[in-house]
Amino acid sequence: MLVVEGLTVRYGPIVAVRAASIRIAAGEMVALIGPNGAGKTSLIGGVMGLVGATGRVAFDGRDVARLSTEDRVRLGMTVTPEGRRVFAGLTVGENLRLGAAIRADRRGVADDTERYLTMFPVLKERLGQLAGTLSGGEQQMLAIARSLMSRPRLLILDEPSLGLAPRIVARIFAHVAELKATGLTLLVVEQNIMQALAVADRAYMIASGEIRHEGPAAALRADPHLVDMYIGG
Amino acid sequence: MAAPVSPSPPVSPSPAATADLAATPRRHLPPVARALLGGLVVAAPVVLIGILILAFAPGYQVRVAYAGFVNLILVVALQVFMGNSNIGSFGHSAFVGLGAYGVAILATPLAAKKLSIPNAPFGLADIALDPTLAAILALAVVFVVAVVSGLVICRLAGIAASIVTLSFLIIVHGAFIHYTDLFKGAQAFFGIPTVVGLPGAIAAAVAVIVVARLFKDSAAGVQLRASADDILAARAFAVDVRRLRFVAWVISALIAASAGILYAYFMGTVIARAFYFQQVFLTLAMLIMGGMRTVSGAVVGTAILTIGLELIRSLENGPTILGVQLPEMLGLSGLTLGAVIVLGMALKPNGIMGRLELDEILARWLARPGAR
Amino acid sequence: MDYLVQQIVNALAFGAEYALLALGLALVFSIMGLVNFAHGEIIAIAGYAVFFAVGLGLGSPIAAVLVAVAMGPIVAVAFERVAFRPVRNAPPTTGLLTAFGVSIVVQNLLTLFVSPRPRAVSVFGPLNQTVFVGPYAISSLQVIELAVTLVAIAGLVVFLNRSLLGLAIRAAARDFATVRLMGIRANRVIATAFALSGLLAGIVTVFMLARRGSVEPDFGAAPVIKAFVACVLGGFGSLAGAAVGGLMLGILDVAILVALPQKYGGLRDAITFLIVGGVLVWRPQGLLGRTVELGDKEI
Repeated sequence: MLVVEGLTVRYGPIVAVRAASIRIAAGEMVALIGPNGAGKTSLIGGVMGLVGATGRVAFDGRDVARLSTEDRVRLGMTVTPEGRRVFAGLTVGENLRLGAAIRADRRGVADDTERYLTMFPVLKERLGQLAGTLSGGEQQMLAIARSLMSRPRLLILDEPSLGLAPRIVARIFAHVAELKATGLTLLVVEQNIMQALAVADRAYMIASGEIRHEGPAAALRADPHLVDMYIGG
Repeated sequence: MAAPVSPSPPVSPSPAATADLAATPRRHLPPVARALLGGLVVAAPVVLIGILILAFAPGYQVRVAYAGFVNLILVVALQVFMGNSNIGSFGHSAFVGLGAYGVAILATPLAAKKLSIPNAPFGLADIALDPTLAAILALAVVFVVAVVSGLVICRLAGIAASIVTLSFLIIVHGAFIHYTDLFKGAQAFFGIPTVVGLPGAIAAAVAVIVVARLFKDSAAGVQLRASADDILAARAFAVDVRRLRFVAWVISALIAASAGILYAYFMGTVIARAFYFQQVFLTLAMLIMGGMRTVSGAVVGTAILTIGLELIRSLENGPTILGVQLPEMLGLSGLTLGAVIVLGMALKPNGIMGRLELDEILARWLARPGAR
Repeated sequence: MDYLVQQIVNALAFGAEYALLALGLALVFSIMGLVNFAHGEIIAIAGYAVFFAVGLGLGSPIAAVLVAVAMGPIVAVAFERVAFRPVRNAPPTTGLLTAFGVSIVVQNLLTLFVSPRPRAVSVFGPLNQTVFVGPYAISSLQVIELAVTLVAIAGLVVFLNRSLLGLAIRAAARDFATVRLMGIRANRVIATAFALSGLLAGIVTVFMLARRGSVEPDFGAAPVIKAFVACVLGGFGSLAGAAVGGLMLGILDVAILVALPQKYGGLRDAITFLIVGGVLVWRPQGLLGRTVELGDKEI
């Protein structure tokens, strides 16, 4: 579904991502793991068109490198951004509404709203509350639900565990597993490698802007040299 | 020989270049001397133009040139504040007016003064001071006004501050127009002793350019520019942004007031209208065209627009070109100024000079590999 | 008592006008950080449009209102497309100076191609009559202004809270990038905000033409400066602040007019601004502004 070849992201003279290539097949969940500053978010930025990048990005066989971010979202690529970025001044309900902005089918939107409010009951409780007053974990769930409202074909989660307590992180990843079970294609970017590898099918390891390793998640998890690769970066 | 420790452009330190002081003087001078030298280099073309005009130009053009020098001083004042703090100011023309009216009120001989402001408060109608003393007192008054206004303006976030400078302009102009006992209202205040000529203006311009450079390269100037780019980082280094802005405001106010004083002492007449929006548009356009970030920008922008506008003004009056009478086109000069501002911001927001001063460009050119 | 009631209505009417102008400015500033100095020129162009329409035979006040209210958004969006888009991502000072430049260009174009002198526009005359509310005689125009302003603000509130684009505008005020991640096109959001701002300006144009009976190149300049000061007073960037600031400024304006002896009448603006300056010393972030500590996480 997603093919990225030779993606390079530069900020002036600094190369944040160097010739990265990843592939995600429909229905897969792929983890992109790496330490802080490895270039994970820049890579996502390049894939989504948020930052300037060179290289090939194809979604469903179609070259999207020239499309604006908004157009890529309309094709079905959705990002739940790092740090959640819920619309703090708007209510939970309004956030969800904006998530569905690209959809024209009101019936479908209503159904999906109901579905995700059931999946994340705490959001139903707080439907009229300002998103900025939610706790970190609740905001993460809102951000994910908001992304789901656009009926994405590919959902990219950028560091969903960031700043959250372990218990909450476990819950979030339980939801991620749920979503995977529904057949959604997922790319999860994470520093928390254990949680990510526990749920993913395959994983890429990135360090200093380069993809260093790729393989089935289970194998990677069992690999005693994982820590070396991770820190050796 | 001390190791080079300056923020000048990276130069390959080959022994030949290092040994030759004359080729790259800047690497071995302390910052103050470097700024001083830089200021003089920037001022050099100004002096040159001034001398040429004194030597060759007819009387009318001397007047135009003088006005150009007055504008230059004001534009340099704007550069000191806007170029370092990154906050737009519409209020400096108020200081020009305060300086001009200050000397008008204090220095005009009694006979002429009684015709203008016979009912002046504080017995001002009965005194006529020596022009130099009047200038000093006027600057003192401007200093007080600058301090008071600065205390309000420098605590505000950037945009709010700009808007308040606009209010400041309107407030001061309002005082000029309506406090007729002191300022003679909307009418011309004449009879001011005409004690300054073009040489004086040139000298003042040089002095002001050097001061602007010294401020820009001083610790205060550098810190202020850094904080304009990232205020949080600056505060983490205990840089008090407000205080620095305040200092820039007061210094630039005094420079602007000097422009007004020079204006009054040459024209012999001042009128409130001259220190209002027309002047603001003109000087902002000059600064934007030349480049806000450098003192050289102020010089270049003023030079180009002074000449350009003279040409356009002759068109505005409907001249006869090649036997064809062109119609009067009021608003053409204003249109040009506006276009300069819009196009400048869209195409070259850092102006013609960009980020480098004239002397810095010269230094790089002299130090390029293979130059010696 | 009659005088008092008239002045209260006067204050509210001016407050309403400043509030509408300030809201227009705040809409644009809150999502783009652009201080639209050319807002006054939207009013001027709309005013001249009415002038030309009347000259071409348009006689009814209603039609003239439609002309003004339609021209506002058109001009605003045109300004955005032509002058502001190139500097969209530039620092705020650049945008401010660009808008300033646009303002100068437009005023001079109007001077050059129409006339530097005021042109009479009397089509709104019928709006300006004396009516009696109870025993008090007040101007019908001011009553209409108040009513229209309330409706306009209510409409704006509904739009911002119910419609998708309205929500997007509110969200964009804090986080434009994430709005784009929803697939909502940035250009659409910005154009909508400009159109709304132009619509409000168009409404104010009608009021001003009705009051003055003429239009000239710097028609919109003075009220817009007041509107800016109102925004700063209320808290720059906040819509509620703009409305409150506008209302407060209108009240202050009229209060000073009433309190000031005739011979100092010209100092009115100066004194108003001085008082605002005083308020800002006490509260630099404005009446409704939040003190955001730099580095604060979003609430």
